[in-house]
Amino acid sequence: MPDLRELQAAFWRSLTSGAPEARLLGRIRATPELPAAERLDIYARMYRDRIVEALREDFPRVAAVVGEERFQALAGSYLAGHPSAHPSLRHFGRGLPAFIATAPLPGLPAYLADLARLEWARGNVFDAPDAEPLGLDALRAVSPEDWGGLRFALVPAVDLLIVDWPVHEIWGAGESPGEDPVMPRRTALRVWREGFAVYHAAMDGAEEAALVRLRAGEPFAAVCEVLETPAEAAALLLRWVEDGIIARPGCRPSS
Amino acid sequence: MFPHLGHGIGLRTQHFPRVLDGTARADWFEAISENFMIRGGRPLAVLERARASVPVALHGVSLSIGASDPLSAGYLRELRALVDRFEPAIVSDHLCWGSFGGHYAHDLLPLPYTEEAVAHVAARVREVQDRLGRRILVENVSSYLGFTHSTMPEWEFLTAIATEADCGILLDVNNVYVSGVNHGFSPEEYLDAVPAERVGQIHLAGHSDHGTHLLDTHDRRVIPAVWELYRRVVGRLGRVSTLVEWDEHVPELEEVLAEAEAARAVEAEVLRTSRARSA
Repeated sequence: MPDLRELQAAFWRSLTSGAPEARLLGRIRATPELPAAERLDIYARMYRDRIVEALREDFPRVAAVVGEERFQALAGSYLAGHPSAHPSLRHFGRGLPAFIATAPLPGLPAYLADLARLEWARGNVFDAPDAEPLGLDALRAVSPEDWGGLRFALVPAVDLLIVDWPVHEIWGAGESPGEDPVMPRRTALRVWREGFAVYHAAMDGAEEAALVRLRAGEPFAAVCEVLETPAEAAALLLRWVEDGIIARPGCRPSS
Repeated sequence: MFPHLGHGIGLRTQHFPRVLDGTARADWFEAISENFMIRGGRPLAVLERARASVPVALHGVSLSIGASDPLSAGYLRELRALVDRFEPAIVSDHLCWGSFGGHYAHDLLPLPYTEEAVAHVAARVREVQDRLGRRILVENVSSYLGFTHSTMPEWEFLTAIATEADCGILLDVNNVYVSGVNHGFSPEEYLDAVPAERVGQIHLAGHSDHGTHLLDTHDRRVIPAVWELYRRVVGRLGRVSTLVEWDEHVPELEEVLAEAEAARAVEAEVLRTSRARSA
């Protein structure tokens, strides 16, 4: 009688390789209508299908732009090299953007890794920790002489993403991307959550530079240095506050 | 030994808006534990909202109680945090294994029904109960293969583990039916043999027929034969917290709730008949 570990090792190898081991098959109770290999194959198919389906849920635009056949091939080869290492399927797709970038399969669009990065960032923002955003009332209470020394912190549910392709445009084309060729263009994206909804938007160079400084905890005067005018600084800050990406307890005058 | 929660439904993403706006009126909800092992956002808000009005159960799929890997300390820590936060009426997982060498299948894989496996699994259930500070329920799974070196039927295996570990049983009536067809055993014999005092919850679900076998797909209504088995279980056990699972092709909330109401009606009818008989 095989011990449990040995049995599970053989089962696991058969499950993940899709090639049933003869010794394992000999330990499976078969019936004429359902032989041992077919019984094991039910598990092998369920294993693959469930995980590929979870990947599709986390990367719906990637799946849409490559089409069903290539998505199956992509997901299958990713799964083969990256078996799930976490009890929750939520984490399975973490390595997919890098996998696409470094081990590209033939026929995949060059922007695909960046599109995957955007989708993964959206997923991370979706279930990032909750935090109370800063309200306009708190800003109104700041006296004029304190503004320059103010340091802000971002809420956890926001991400800055630098990509080589304008993948927000591809994402925006939805499930049926257009035929127009996409050209590479360095793009800074802000991904954030308002209520329970996740958004993303491209940032211009000024917003990107200012947000990087703000996120690093630099005082508001330093944030303003990368902007042309005080009006531009005020408009940006207002937009960030309205989008709920600045944390309430992060607002503290430096002294 | 176990609370009676009535007839509940699984908490599914498709119905999250109805939970948040307070129009999802179920006796209780069962949440898949792993889906809430996250840091914030909508799913946790939904579970908070549900828990504020009715009891909830935490139902895991990745405890992997039958695996030969050590139990995952990280997983148990996360589960304990959920238990402490949401104070679920019931905590359960499946009598199966689903991980090997630190990797997860995200599936419910079958165990051999041997004395070795009974001792192994029962010890791990006890360890889990110690770590969580409470009793858990283990659920019989649908299976598609059995092992030639099994030395007992599934119901004896389930009973032996529940007795040795002093845990409860989540009796999935649909799984008993599905496995009965796939392995050629009598579901009635199974259901009559399960220790009544240990059954803390019942699952009902739909499955799909693939000709040579049945698949536990949770993608449709409960079939008449499974309703008959539920009738038999209620006749034997009386009132037990019952839950309808629907995971694929999830319909409108009302259709899932209608299945829970159908279960309530079956229970009421069986109990009325048995009272009339004993009067």
